[in-house]
Amino acid sequence: MAGVLLNNVVKRFGDFEIIHGASLDIADGEFVVFVGPSGCGKSTLLRMIAGLEDISGGEIAIGGKTVNDVEPADRGIAMVFQSYALYPHMSVEQNLSFGLRMNGNPKADTDRRVKKAAEILHITDLMARRPRQLSGGQRQRVAIGRAIVREPQVFLFDEPLSNLDAELRVQMRVEISRLHKELGTTMIYVTHDQIEAMTLADRIVVLRGGHVEQIGRPLDLYSDPDNQFVAGFVGSPKMNFITARVLERGASGVTVELAGGTRLTQPLNGPAPEPGSKVVVGVRPEHFGHAGKGDADLSVTIDVVEHLGGTSFLYASTAAGDDIVIQRDAAEVSDAPEITVSIRKSYLFDDKGRRLR
Amino acid sequence: MSSRSASKLGRSIALHLFLTPLALIWLFPLWMMVIFSTMPDRGIFSPSIELLPHGNFLDNVNNLQRDTNFIGAIGISVSVAVTYTFLSVMLTSMAGWALARYQFFGKGLVVAIILGTITLPYAVVLIPQFIMVARDFKLANTWVALIVPPLFNSLGVLFMRQAFSMMPHELFDAARVEGVKEWRIFLFVALPLARPMLAALAIILFLASWNNYLWPLLINSKPGAMTAPVALGTLIGLTKVSWGGIMAGAVMLTAPMLVVFVLLQRHFIAGIAAGAIK
Amino acid sequence: MRYQNATAYRFLAPYLLIFSIFWLWPIIDSFLISFQATRTVPWRFSPTFNWGRLIGDPAFFNALKNTLLILVIQVPVMITLAIVMAVLLNSPLLKARGLFRFAFFAPVVVGEVAYSAVFRLMFNLDYGIINKLLNSVGLPSIDWFSNVTPAMAVIMIAVTWRWAGYNAIILLAGLQSIPQDVYEAATLDRVSKLKQFIYITLPLLKPIIVFCAVLSIIGTMQLFTEPFLITERGGPGGGTETLGLLLYRQGFRSLNFGYASAIAYTMAGLAIAISLVQLWLTRDPK
Repeated sequence: MAGVLLNNVVKRFGDFEIIHGASLDIADGEFVVFVGPSGCGKSTLLRMIAGLEDISGGEIAIGGKTVNDVEPADRGIAMVFQSYALYPHMSVEQNLSFGLRMNGNPKADTDRRVKKAAEILHITDLMARRPRQLSGGQRQRVAIGRAIVREPQVFLFDEPLSNLDAELRVQMRVEISRLHKELGTTMIYVTHDQIEAMTLADRIVVLRGGHVEQIGRPLDLYSDPDNQFVAGFVGSPKMNFITARVLERGASGVTVELAGGTRLTQPLNGPAPEPGSKVVVGVRPEHFGHAGKGDADLSVTIDVVEHLGGTSFLYASTAAGDDIVIQRDAAEVSDAPEITVSIRKSYLFDDKGRRLR
Repeated sequence: MSSRSASKLGRSIALHLFLTPLALIWLFPLWMMVIFSTMPDRGIFSPSIELLPHGNFLDNVNNLQRDTNFIGAIGISVSVAVTYTFLSVMLTSMAGWALARYQFFGKGLVVAIILGTITLPYAVVLIPQFIMVARDFKLANTWVALIVPPLFNSLGVLFMRQAFSMMPHELFDAARVEGVKEWRIFLFVALPLARPMLAALAIILFLASWNNYLWPLLINSKPGAMTAPVALGTLIGLTKVSWGGIMAGAVMLTAPMLVVFVLLQRHFIAGIAAGAIK
Repeated sequence: MRYQNATAYRFLAPYLLIFSIFWLWPIIDSFLISFQATRTVPWRFSPTFNWGRLIGDPAFFNALKNTLLILVIQVPVMITLAIVMAVLLNSPLLKARGLFRFAFFAPVVVGEVAYSAVFRLMFNLDYGIINKLLNSVGLPSIDWFSNVTPAMAVIMIAVTWRWAGYNAIILLAGLQSIPQDVYEAATLDRVSKLKQFIYITLPLLKPIIVFCAVLSIIGTMQLFTEPFLITERGGPGGGTETLGLLLYRQGFRSLNFGYASAIAYTMAGLAIAISLVQLWLTRDPK
């Protein structure tokens, strides 16, 4: 069992820097998810922890020991790959035992570990099959099983569910959660899917363009994002962004004017931008209410309505042309082409996307 | 019948009318090789047109064996080709693996060398190779001379590099994370997965060695050290020689390869299509 | 990816060792030998001894002329034939595909010595099957090996027979890698089969055609076995002598290694020129 420490970790390919100093302290037994759009460096960071990529700068420590120059096999980690990386010419049993056999682990111990992993993952009946005779979900289990037999201190998952269909993805997500509870081992998990991140993680690390944008518990990221990127990335459907202009700073906070004339006052502790400067108001679809029942009212034109059953999504545009999505109970949706909604909760960002609070 | 299927039928007939005679012409030399090998010499050199097999093949083999020790030469050819194929497959797949799997200092140079030698005429290295092997190493008329110098082969390395590159690299990373040593990853993960490509490469290399003529002609010219093609070549142009015997030799050189070709056509074609060797 | 110099070179070592001994050094050595007078013991340095002889040697120019003549006629004929074979073998209308493939591809496995022997016998003046067939339709016999033109023709026919199928295999693989939907789209646009071939197939196949042509040119340039065995050491009277044969005679009959090396480097020069043409032909359009 071990924690993982990243201290100002940098990755360069030639002159091209793709990770710009990431620092992170992962506690023993914690489930941490790296999330971000493709190309943000999350997989590279994971592969650096695994030892599959060189570390260009900074330090990575696992269980208190610096591992920068330690071979992947000696880092006490096990990794589950996106493509599962099962050896196609070996049976499930051989896949599970290959690493141990190759390293001369005693046969009795290998058998015991393989048996235990198979039981945990309910794949005991599949041991004689080849990978191509397995379904996607079964392959995924074998890939995880191969990680379990190593009895690692840290599990690394590289987008393990992205090759599965939607239903299986939910099922395996629950499975991985259960596994974490059962084993209690540190897990680091990479995904581009924020729902996976929200549902699995103890803590989420949001990455963009090789920078760590925010680190926090899932609900903290949702309710208190540090910047516009995190605010937009976490939550589904995405947070709406409406352009606005700073009017004045008063005792109760800062007042901004949305295009179309709507005024909104937000409490503010930090410094306020100059009056007249551009800001962005962020409102989650679920934070629109009935007219008159929030901080401010906003008139919108409805373009399209999607009924999902219990809830509906209204795709609308403001007078200034901002596209927004509004979440409503299905029963409350009318046919009116124009409606007025209230903003019950909002976030303010400056023109560089930083949160104003 | 619709005009659509009628025109299709017309095109099909035209296609077969053109291709069938061409195919017969192409088969003709092989057919004649077989016919000649079953005819006595006085039949070959008679004014009549003979297009069907006779029964003299074994006599011709005896005639050939009287002219030169062809069976012994075949033995040398087989042993050399088998050894060469094994060594060359190992050598080229190891090099192909290194190029596909690793980043290393000088990789660009190694690739440039390999690409550069594809279009370099063999004639350029022939003379120094001969001087070195025959005079400096004193290896003329040995197996080593037949096997070792031709081991360098650039298209085979490119073929294997391609084969390994197309495998998912996560597979090798997974083994690496499990602490499997690189040479074991190569032997137990990469090579078994490359089996179809290795088969294609092995067939092409075996064929190249089996049919190789110029180098064995130069380096192993002593009777008793000759390969089968060289032994057969010495008879062509001699006056008192059995042509039925020469043809029987040609058949013995060709028939096994034709059988292999028919049985393993897929691998054969894959190997040539990838430009594995010429 | 991590840099793994030691591991990589451990895998490359045997290959690079063979390369250094049997290719790298010979390439250099051959160049050096071409500047030595090798008829004397010990050899002595003399830049003009071989190269000076080369530019004034009618035997060299005869071999060069013959080689280029074979190149210019045989390679285009063979490549065209190979394209025809590949396209027709790829036709969905073709029945008994396996038999046709066997007919055209089988020569690929036939060794040079075996087929040289057969061709020599087939084109024999008095008893060759070709002349017998000519006679049977009322045509006179041709004395294939006593006159230069028919002797050259036999060499070209033999080489074409041996290598057309080989090139057809490569071209067929290229054809099969062209996605089928391109043709379906063209058919819907009412583009005729012939125009599809000219405007879709040929342009997409061009890099492979060029590759085949270059390999064929370099192979034919070194032509040795056919004039050595079929036309009896380049006969009649040097009429089918090629650069490869001249090199063999100079290097290994007269043991004049210096002059043979100069001939070899001339061939290399031609090969480099052809490779540059290939690069130019297959360059990415800007």
